[in-house]
Amino acid sequence: MTTVIQIEEVSFGYGSQRPVLSHISVGVPRGVFLAVVGANGVGKSTLLRIMSGLLRPRSGQVLLEGRELYSYGIRGIAQRIAVVRQEFVPAFGFSVLETVLMARTPGYGPLGFESKEDRALATKALEMTDTARFASRPLGALSAGERQRVFIARALAQNTPILLLDEPTSFLDLKHQVAIYDLLKSTQQQAGTTIVAVTHDLNLAAQYCDEALLLYPSAGEPKADAGLAANHRLGSVSEVLTPPEIQRAFGVQVFSGRIGRARFVMPLGARAKDADFSGRSG
Amino acid sequence: MSRWWFLSAAFVLWIVSGLALVRLPADERIRSRSDQVPPRIVSMAPNLTEILFALGLGERVVGVTQDSDYPAAAASKPRVGTFWQPGVEAVIALRPDLVVTLAFEQQQEFSRRLGRMGYSRLMVNIETITGLFDAIVAVGKAAGASGQAEMLCANMRTEINQIRSATASNQPVKVLWVVQREPLRVAGRDTFVNEMIELAGGENAIGPTLHKYPPVGAEQVIAARPEVIIEPAMLPSVLDQQRRQALEYWNRFANVPAVTTGRIHVIDGDTVSRLSPRLPAGIRTIARCLRPDSFGE
Amino acid sequence: MHPPLTSRILLVRTAVAAMLLVAVMLACALIGPQDISLKSALGMTQSNAAPTPDHEILVRVRIPRVLLAAMVGAALAASGVVFQALLRNPLADPYILGVSSGAGLGAMIAVVGGLSWTLWGRSPIAVFAFAGALGTVWLVWGIGRITGRYQVTGLLLAGVVVNAFFSAMIMFLVSIAKSHQLYATLFWLMGNMTEEDFFVLWVGGGCITAGIIALFFLGPQLNIISVGHEDAQSIGVPVARIELAAFAVSAFITAVAVSLSGLVGFVGLIVPHAVRLLFGPDHRQLLPLSSLAGAMFLVIADTVARMVVAPAQLPVGVVTAMIGGPFFLLLLIRYSKRVYWPT
Repeated sequence: MTTVIQIEEVSFGYGSQRPVLSHISVGVPRGVFLAVVGANGVGKSTLLRIMSGLLRPRSGQVLLEGRELYSYGIRGIAQRIAVVRQEFVPAFGFSVLETVLMARTPGYGPLGFESKEDRALATKALEMTDTARFASRPLGALSAGERQRVFIARALAQNTPILLLDEPTSFLDLKHQVAIYDLLKSTQQQAGTTIVAVTHDLNLAAQYCDEALLLYPSAGEPKADAGLAANHRLGSVSEVLTPPEIQRAFGVQVFSGRIGRARFVMPLGARAKDADFSGRSG
Repeated sequence: MSRWWFLSAAFVLWIVSGLALVRLPADERIRSRSDQVPPRIVSMAPNLTEILFALGLGERVVGVTQDSDYPAAAASKPRVGTFWQPGVEAVIALRPDLVVTLAFEQQQEFSRRLGRMGYSRLMVNIETITGLFDAIVAVGKAAGASGQAEMLCANMRTEINQIRSATASNQPVKVLWVVQREPLRVAGRDTFVNEMIELAGGENAIGPTLHKYPPVGAEQVIAARPEVIIEPAMLPSVLDQQRRQALEYWNRFANVPAVTTGRIHVIDGDTVSRLSPRLPAGIRTIARCLRPDSFGE
Repeated sequence: MHPPLTSRILLVRTAVAAMLLVAVMLACALIGPQDISLKSALGMTQSNAAPTPDHEILVRVRIPRVLLAAMVGAALAASGVVFQALLRNPLADPYILGVSSGAGLGAMIAVVGGLSWTLWGRSPIAVFAFAGALGTVWLVWGIGRITGRYQVTGLLLAGVVVNAFFSAMIMFLVSIAKSHQLYATLFWLMGNMTEEDFFVLWVGGGCITAGIIALFFLGPQLNIISVGHEDAQSIGVPVARIELAAFAVSAFITAVAVSLSGLVGFVGLIVPHAVRLLFGPDHRQLLPLSSLAGAMFLVIADTVARMVVAPAQLPVGVVTAMIGGPFFLLLLIRYSKRVYWPT
């Protein structure tokens, strides 16, 4: 299995503040559905932005398909990586179809109009995300969940082998959370897309993702000071999303239980009803 | 990328062809009509109108600005907009052979526009008394009335000298010339009004200032100690009203000599608010305010 | 909602708008403070006798003014569209980043300093206003780049600061200026169309048309950038480069417009809005249609400004505000169902 994105010894800080990421090295295998988890502020979104070329690290390098990421150019990166951020309502009233079509823009002809192939891709993306029925509605008229699906459709219309998502289900209700994960999983399985998703939902990650990247709070500390061997843990979800690891990354004790093929975790604080079960496995 | 090259090339081509095609000379046909004595003259300022009529060219004047109220004959001439907003279409419709304008920014621009269209024009600067005489000569020359211009200037000079010699021996009277009361603005030393005051045997109570018509405060008025205060009224109809208001206003300046002696004059602004052939009459009016015994009434 | 744009729809709409514009321009060229007859105006062009005053007025005064109004209206509307897209703010107008105070300062400096450099027969006020407008935009862009981490906020703040500072300097110059200089500058700044000679119109028209076409080429990218510029970059649009290009071209055509006619307000703010309400936010359409609509609007406004208190003349900026405001209100009420305001 080859590595499609390789991050080597990357350090990054915003402005002159202490670094958010320090000497991190991570390899993302091709075709994997990878969850990126960790406490707030530990650098998950930052890592995603570095992977997509939006931010440049202070040191270290980022490789895409074995080549330096920046050598591809903005357009080259966009042909290989699509990014989905949290949904929002833009200032101008573009319709769903117009928004999804925008993903095809860099390839437009001289008068700036889309081709039939562009339209076909956009329509397919709408169908995959079950948003075709909103095609002519303005984005602002949709619910948050529907809008998030539209942004995913736009990323899918970009037709890239890699998809990066930053907390795509944070404010969504249960129904939409499940719908989106189902969609992502089917994309991975049918098209072989490599998917990296930052998420707070450890259980959905356990059910849908193959691997997990857990960032410890020390991710920003220089290796020498940390006194720890590593600042992150990368592995299969069953290896990584375990109570000791979660305790280390989040400082919270959980109860870990098995359903069928995957486990679930339930965080239990001191005043929870089943507080005495915390830290145990079932 | 190719469409950008295409656009740039087209743009450059457009500009270059503009240089070749559109630089047309002004319409020759109009120019040829203006010979030595232009039969149709348009005046763009009231004092220019007065000059033209004073030179005996009244019949040849075909258009004046709205505020050209003197002489009475001018009032019946067609209007071509105002002093501040000249009406270019009205001017063109009168088919003038000569358009006379003043030289300040607004009218300069207007004159330039007419010139671009091929009209003959004359621009004169009438900001000082010397300028006035030069303007009369220039207008006379352009309109083929040089003889009349010389005569007019000579007459004016004689009258002015008469007034001067009558007052030269006495001590100049300190005058405060008030153009606006609220806020208080006066005529400074760098104005034609000042020249008129000095010719009438007076002296500006205000010293040299940055502005021509500076705003002044009460302190400066008191420090200046004017012996006479003169306020020109813009419209004869408000003369009485302005007199009453002036007396009310100036009463608060109890220390000023002009107020204590009651020498506050509100005069008809007609002959003193613009430099025109009626200059001697204007100077005489001022002289009457300064030395009522010498100039009677 | 609007169906997505196709090249055919755009072509048809643009052609109709263009024909409408020509009709409006011809009609307005025949209206003015002097009554002229078309017959008389066209009659004397062939013979050797001098042209009639009607012909003179039509060709030397009316047609240049109508052409000028069309150019300026198109430039202001197009750059209004672009500024609204770049600043992601439907309330932006071409003057928001200091163009107005820069032009005003340039004009005041020219008048108070008694400077008399002319260019191609244009007055020094126009030349300095152009330099002032362009220089200010460049300054604001520079400041915004240095200080603004988040591009848009940085630009807006820089614009506010520069506007405030330049306004103070203008007030200072006003206080030491002579009264007739003041009046001339003020009147010029309030926006008015005077007839220019054909060479100036040729060059100005060429610059503005080329600028609008350039902005049209950037249409699809502007669509994405108006949604969000991080999104734009992930889709593959070189955001910084496109923003700089669009900004520079818009600032340039605004400066040309301001130097031709002073500061005409409202056109750059309202026309893009109205066109967006009627036809949707796609910039490939907004740009040509707003330009043509802006041209029409200003030609009509100028004609009204000339006629309503004839023979005096209102500053055209007064008329654009008085026509534009109620008209836009009506449009908003009728079409508000189609508008979705983000909360």
